[in-house]
Amino acid sequence: MAGCYGAGALSSLLARWSGRLALGVGHVAALAGAVAGLGVSLSVLLGGPGYPLTLPLPDLFPFARLSLTVDGLSAYFVLVISVVAVAAAIYGPAYLRAHSPDARPPRQAAQALALNVFLGSMTFLCFAGDALTFLFCWEGMTLASYVLVVSDDQDGEKARAGLLYLVMAHAGTALLLVAFLALTERAGAFDFGALRAAAAGLDPTTRTTLFFLALGGFATKAGVVPLHVWLPRAHPAAPSHISALMSGVMLKVAVYGMLRVGFDLLAPAGGPLPPSWGWTVLILGTTSAVLGVLYALQQHDLKRLLAFHSVENIGIILIGVGLAMILWQTEGPGGVLATVALTAALLHTVNHAAFKGLLFLGAGSVLCRTHVANIEELGGLARRMPWTAGLFLLGAIAISALPPLNGFVSEWLTFQVLLGGAARFHGPAGLGIVFSAAMLALTGGLAAACFAKAFGVTFLGRARTPHAERATEAPPSMIAGMMWLAVVCVVLGVAPGYAMRLLDAPTALLLHGPGASAVVTARGPLVLSAGLTPSGSSATAISMTVAAALLVALTAIAWVLRRGVGRAPRRVAPTWTCGMRPTARFDYTATAFAKPLRLVFAALYRPRREVIRETAGTPYVVRRIRYAGEIVDLSETQIYHRVERGISELSQAIRARSTGRIYGYIGFVFGALFVALLWYGVGP
Amino acid sequence: MSERSLGLVLLTTALLALLGPLVTGFIQKLKARLQCRQGAGVLQPYHDLVKLFRKGTVQADTTSGFFRSIPVLVLAATMAAGALVPVVRAGPPPVPLGDALMLLGLLALARFLTSVGALDAGGAFGGMGASREMTIAPLVEPVLMMVVFSAAVVAGTTELGALAAHRGTSWILGWHAPDFLGFAAMLVLLPAETGRIPVDNPDTHLELTMLHEGMLLEHSGPGLGCMVLASHTRQIVTLGLVSALFFPVAATGVGALGLLVGAGAFALKILVLAVYLALVESSYAKLRLFRVPLYLGIGFVCALTALALRIL
Repeated sequence: MAGCYGAGALSSLLARWSGRLALGVGHVAALAGAVAGLGVSLSVLLGGPGYPLTLPLPDLFPFARLSLTVDGLSAYFVLVISVVAVAAAIYGPAYLRAHSPDARPPRQAAQALALNVFLGSMTFLCFAGDALTFLFCWEGMTLASYVLVVSDDQDGEKARAGLLYLVMAHAGTALLLVAFLALTERAGAFDFGALRAAAAGLDPTTRTTLFFLALGGFATKAGVVPLHVWLPRAHPAAPSHISALMSGVMLKVAVYGMLRVGFDLLAPAGGPLPPSWGWTVLILGTTSAVLGVLYALQQHDLKRLLAFHSVENIGIILIGVGLAMILWQTEGPGGVLATVALTAALLHTVNHAAFKGLLFLGAGSVLCRTHVANIEELGGLARRMPWTAGLFLLGAIAISALPPLNGFVSEWLTFQVLLGGAARFHGPAGLGIVFSAAMLALTGGLAAACFAKAFGVTFLGRARTPHAERATEAPPSMIAGMMWLAVVCVVLGVAPGYAMRLLDAPTALLLHGPGASAVVTARGPLVLSAGLTPSGSSATAISMTVAAALLVALTAIAWVLRRGVGRAPRRVAPTWTCGMRPTARFDYTATAFAKPLRLVFAALYRPRREVIRETAGTPYVVRRIRYAGEIVDLSETQIYHRVERGISELSQAIRARSTGRIYGYIGFVFGALFVALLWYGVGP
Repeated sequence: MSERSLGLVLLTTALLALLGPLVTGFIQKLKARLQCRQGAGVLQPYHDLVKLFRKGTVQADTTSGFFRSIPVLVLAATMAAGALVPVVRAGPPPVPLGDALMLLGLLALARFLTSVGALDAGGAFGGMGASREMTIAPLVEPVLMMVVFSAAVVAGTTELGALAAHRGTSWILGWHAPDFLGFAAMLVLLPAETGRIPVDNPDTHLELTMLHEGMLLEHSGPGLGCMVLASHTRQIVTLGLVSALFFPVAATGVGALGLLVGAGAFALKILVLAVYLALVESSYAKLRLFRVPLYLGIGFVCALTALALRIL
């Protein structure tokens, strides 16, 4: 696997002769690496015991021994990475050629190199067996994705997005560094085994502080509200298959980090996790889910909208993780509910990777055929790009958590755990969990509204601009990439029970309890069940397979009905527009579609609208009308702008003090050194 | 626990689809009588459907390939939701099928597809209807789910048959305060979920008042027939959900007699709720669209209180 990604990275050297060749070879190598990753992770997850397996790496540093560790959790996340990486590698070359046909070889070489470094560092981050490898891969992932974000176009907006991303990512990395270094200093070594041993002796306050430091670092990467501001800017800026990887996979690597640190490295031996951990994660998750979807609803840039939905889905995953933290070892014997919670979170991880990857690839097909990102300028694409439209619709149904696709399965499990947790806890804690359930239900409904808008305005109706009118279907290799993810969505939706076996190893590893399949698919692989009562006697059971079969059968019956009685004529006529000649101006726009919800949630959006009318003498004859509207991101105005103002005021003050003469600066440096020596040098 | 056999499930699904129009006809008739009109016959919706299925189709020239399959999928999703409602007997089906969350999910799927279809023709009416429908729906669904949860927390399951079995046959004598509050929330939500006054007006295509009807404007002939049949079915499924959650369903209907009694009881429950809908529709005016969230807020408060009382 390393060889494949390494070869892919080296392939950028081919760009000396041909950029296209470099891209092609780079993506083939990435595909090979991803297939190898699939193979390795599946063999670990299905292979049974014999893990964790530790492979030493060559000694690069005198002070630390580097190693790779393969266990259930890391194998599962490598599986998630590889599933999307396969699609991205198939999709990528055709997309880059179609989107920017006049790209020069150096840029193509950089893209091929960065793609392979990106995939490689994510994979080996999951396999890291020590803190140093972990942090190296973390940094490699950040830098490679930064290169990919700014690689697309020479555009000031994208460069700014990339810069914001880099700054936020490094702020997060700094938090992680502090957390890990504090642990390694106590352990005297870098490998996870030693860290685990060192963490066992921590006092509760230090443990919780370290967890929150790490959580802050991972939450920045995962785009949790209010640390999400970089995400909706950076993800759309990258080429679409990279957006799919960043949204579908890179955020999940942060979730992997949270699970690894929370349940494994820092977890107190034999006792429950401190309650503050789980509740914080649950609250962060609920907030992210609701705010993510609410902001997504008002976006008109297709990829930006999808990026906000990533914030939402990370929130849903974190709800599961938080519940698992709260319930683990607090619920008495069995610990069944925590297993279901973790199963829901992990299942939503792979589900979100599949449908978000699919949607980003679909958005990429639209983008490379029309070169328009604003959905208001699209429309009517379903007749010009039927495959892309169909696959996008599938992804839209999946992400809206509608049966019979995979989004519904993981949200169903999350609901069951929320309900079970509420029944278990009673009192204010139970009420908090119930509120979280209501918010999750709201999230699902709003996501459906958002995707009805996104799909309808982009693909249906009439083409609003010549760009949309001239669109043609995407090339077959791009369709194939999307098709792979669509198949994953359908399979995970219709027969999720078979995927539960893959979750056995990670759940058993983290919770030291029964595996996922022993709990969720206790009644056979086709039936999902989740016990709400402690005894689990009256478990709720559903069968996605039977429900899907019923849906298909009823569709067949309805199809017969639809054909009608007898052979009645069918004709085509223009849409009724009250007697006027229909034009694209009659189509409902995305702004109009989302307006009622904008007004309902006005307290949150603080919408601003500006209408300028140009009339001819009398107010009844309007010559021209100009409309501008915008909404604000509350965390941006309330937190970030204030921080920004503080920093610029501080730097103004510093600028007033700085003279510009070199002696002054040397004096400052010496003064600082003197004070530092006085402070620390006078010791015992 | 007694079970519903698979044949019974399929039979009741067909029954719900067949009886859906009758409920609409009954409500229309009752409304007409309340307004001192003669009104059309109770069977009028059936005549309408037969006419629609015989007619030809006029399709808008801007529609995509999805448009023709939308009515089929909407009808199928709604009928599949019907399969999850316990009609004549309580108890879970022998083959696990789906629970209340699946039922709400299938209804949401039907709604999502309807609104996508409405955007396809490219007229302003369809878009307007879809936009309004998708504004109301996300506000109704969480409240419905909370009502379901308030029942499920006690029963320990979200499977409707088991929930109904847990409710037992003592009905209102066995109710606690949360049951009354949950039922109140459900009564607030019923007009919204069935597309009736004061949230929506099923009798008009006027652009100021319509939600659901606006989305059907571009459908015609058998396609429209499917959509209309789906909305009849949706109505009876919603009423079935309410009666499964709050009214007793016989848990031990044995033999043909038990089935007959169960069917009779179901008809009675649906009748009561239909009378309620007709009364509300005749005595209230339609709310302004931006008043609807406030109206639904009443339901939300009731449902939240019901749930809080259960948990605390």
